[in-house]
Amino acid sequence: MVKSSLISIQDLRITSQSAEKVLISNVNLEIGKGEIVGLIGESGSGKSLTARAVMRLLPPDMKVSGKIFYKGTDVLAVNPKEHRHLLGSGIGMIFQDYRGSFTPFIKIGNQMIETIRTHYKMTKNEAKSIALTVLEEMGLESKRVYDSYSFQLSGGQVQRAAIAMSLALKPDLIICDEMTTALDVMSGERVLDYIDQIRNKTGCSVLMITHDLALAYKRTDRMYVMNQGEIVEEGLPEQIRCHHKHPYTKKLCSCLLALPAKKSIQKKRAYSV
Amino acid sequence: MSLVIEGLSKQYTKSIQALKHISLTVSDGESIGIVGESGSGKSTLARILLGLEPYKEGSVTYKGKLIVPKNRSSLRAYRKSVQMIFQDSTSTLNPKLPIWKSLLEPLDNYKEFSPSFLEQGLTKLEKAEKLLEIVGLDKEMFSRYPVELSGGQKQRVSIARAISLEPSLLVCDEPTASLDMTIQVQILQLLKELQRKTNMTILFISHDIRAVAYLCERMIVLKEGLMVDEFKMADIYHSDRHPYTKALIKAASID
Amino acid sequence: MEPALIKSRALKLIHDPTMTIGLFLALLLGGVTILGGWLVPHDPFQINMNNRLQGTSFDHWFGTDQLGRDVFSRIIYGAKLTIGLGVFAIMIAVVIGVPIGLFSGFIGGRVDAFLMRIVDGILSFPDFILAIAIAGMLGPNLTNLIIAIVLVRWIVYARVVRGLVLAEKEKEYVLVSKVSFSSAFKTIRMHLIPQILPDIIVMAAIDVGKVILLISAFSYIGLGAQPPIPEWGAMLNEGRSYFQVVPSLMIYPGLAIMLTVLCCNLLGDGLKNYFDIRKRRG
Repeated sequence: MVKSSLISIQDLRITSQSAEKVLISNVNLEIGKGEIVGLIGESGSGKSLTARAVMRLLPPDMKVSGKIFYKGTDVLAVNPKEHRHLLGSGIGMIFQDYRGSFTPFIKIGNQMIETIRTHYKMTKNEAKSIALTVLEEMGLESKRVYDSYSFQLSGGQVQRAAIAMSLALKPDLIICDEMTTALDVMSGERVLDYIDQIRNKTGCSVLMITHDLALAYKRTDRMYVMNQGEIVEEGLPEQIRCHHKHPYTKKLCSCLLALPAKKSIQKKRAYSV
Repeated sequence: MSLVIEGLSKQYTKSIQALKHISLTVSDGESIGIVGESGSGKSTLARILLGLEPYKEGSVTYKGKLIVPKNRSSLRAYRKSVQMIFQDSTSTLNPKLPIWKSLLEPLDNYKEFSPSFLEQGLTKLEKAEKLLEIVGLDKEMFSRYPVELSGGQKQRVSIARAISLEPSLLVCDEPTASLDMTIQVQILQLLKELQRKTNMTILFISHDIRAVAYLCERMIVLKEGLMVDEFKMADIYHSDRHPYTKALIKAASID
Repeated sequence: MEPALIKSRALKLIHDPTMTIGLFLALLLGGVTILGGWLVPHDPFQINMNNRLQGTSFDHWFGTDQLGRDVFSRIIYGAKLTIGLGVFAIMIAVVIGVPIGLFSGFIGGRVDAFLMRIVDGILSFPDFILAIAIAGMLGPNLTNLIIAIVLVRWIVYARVVRGLVLAEKEKEYVLVSKVSFSSAFKTIRMHLIPQILPDIIVMAAIDVGKVILLISAFSYIGLGAQPPIPEWGAMLNEGRSYFQVVPSLMIYPGLAIMLTVLCCNLLGDGLKNYFDIRKRRG
């Protein structure tokens, strides 16, 4: 079902040298152009490690083997400089802890300009107009946010500004690691809506790493379920939800709480436990 | 009617008002969900109910008695019947103490009280073992330290500690927010079962409507200190719902 | 605690070389301090003018001083004064400072503000100058010196403990303790003291070294122990006039002070590492 794959992870294996432990193994994952893919797992399942391996953000005592092809190049094989060149503008990553996305000492606008100018040769004014446009696209008051420090904004606003910053580099793929976990429900929804919008507009792909099965059902085209360092199941949200095969997926789905069903509400409250 | 809140307001500073004219009645054995986002005042409400926070306007009465935070002797009786579970099970257990010591702290403060589920004349360790069994933990766990337990296990210990005085009202402040999905459901099941057994009132504070829907019969919605909605779970899709509630429901529904 | 657990902790404790050397020195010096009176080969106060300013011999290991007293015996005997008084002074400072810091931090409000203004006031003087002023006012002897040292050191403990308590009391388990209606005293005993104790032990171990230096320095400038008391600083002072003839009169007491301070610092660092590791593991 993957038409043209943007990134393809093959037999990824990460071992911790200090603890002599295999953290993840046999991870095969593929993301097509314009696709939004969910990677579901509980804490310790290795879902964040997978993303960090792509970005080479792992601590030095972790050993990575396998292949990660991004537009046909194995990013694990190239040297750090090429890696930065290859992925710096191509893949944007957004973290759970939004407070870490911006330095509190520099205004958000200036940080954005600096980031844009490290990747693209352009004047300050050009960079500024791009920054303002992407902030606007994320539904923010661009002028105000541009002139603010990160601590002057709410969590949802900072998170959207972080997305705006990665958008400014025109990425092909945005990796969202538990992006909405630290946010309030409504601001989380807003952020997700904007992700959908920009995906439709720019055609970039999204890898949505989350522990929230309901979010993945609603927001992804395809999803992978990860448990204890391995991908146990892959499929469309419908498949995972109703026709899962692996016992872990079954357990996970059985733990998804549901709101009372609209029709059966008069008879009995329905839980899916 | 066991818990009656009338016109409760709480102001921290001139510009920050945490609660605005909250009125709420909760009857015995009911489970009620309080939904709101950060800054909605739900944690302030919990702290006031526990007598941890003074308030000026309005009144909070429990079983006919007014709750006054400064009056230590009236609080003593009240605290026995009202206990709380917190969100972060890691920081609610002292890392330097073995589980049994943390577990027995409340019972130790009410030496004259012996809960119905503990026979007379048990040693401290036997009491701890019994409490651990009630919340579905291995009784060997009493001698361990918090660092050796998983998040779910720690939350179970917190629950065991909270119910050790057989409270008639249990305030839960986001008890499942920092847990994995599978563990979250187990904790909710445990709370539900304990409520069925002891008929205690549960005040479940959460931002997760789905968890509230699982556990509670009634739900109130707080927004910026105001109670914007109050309804029975059966009326969740009623057209009278506040727009904010509707938005929350839409965000939480799967289909 | 089970014997196996004690054994494993003890092993971990001496695994660190800093700690091993520190502990060895501490045992040695502690033994000398306690048993000093019985260990001495000669009476440290016995004057023998025929035998003055002798070099090292089989009978007098460190030689004799200007009054013919055995230097080795005087140093061994003096440990009781220098080390004993140093430890004693710190103990008193801890006993006064820690409870004040605990309650000040835990209760907060006006009590805290009042106590901390006093502490700030005293802290604004350099402690050496303040101790000189107090000792000078009370008169030069060892008791007054200890009083002066305690007066300047307790505030440091009060201040540090208060800071630790302020950080610790925001933790939720302190709140839980309140919810289960523990008294303030019980909450402090059960939750706060175990948390701050390691820091206090480390601080006190290093502080003993500092205070020993202080006692010796005061005795050297004549504000502490007076002759013929064989306090190490006072011995340095007495030996000063003969330094060019018999340098050992100053070298041996100086070495004794150095060794003790080294021991305190090693012990403090070792304990700090030990507690840090335990903290990291939970």
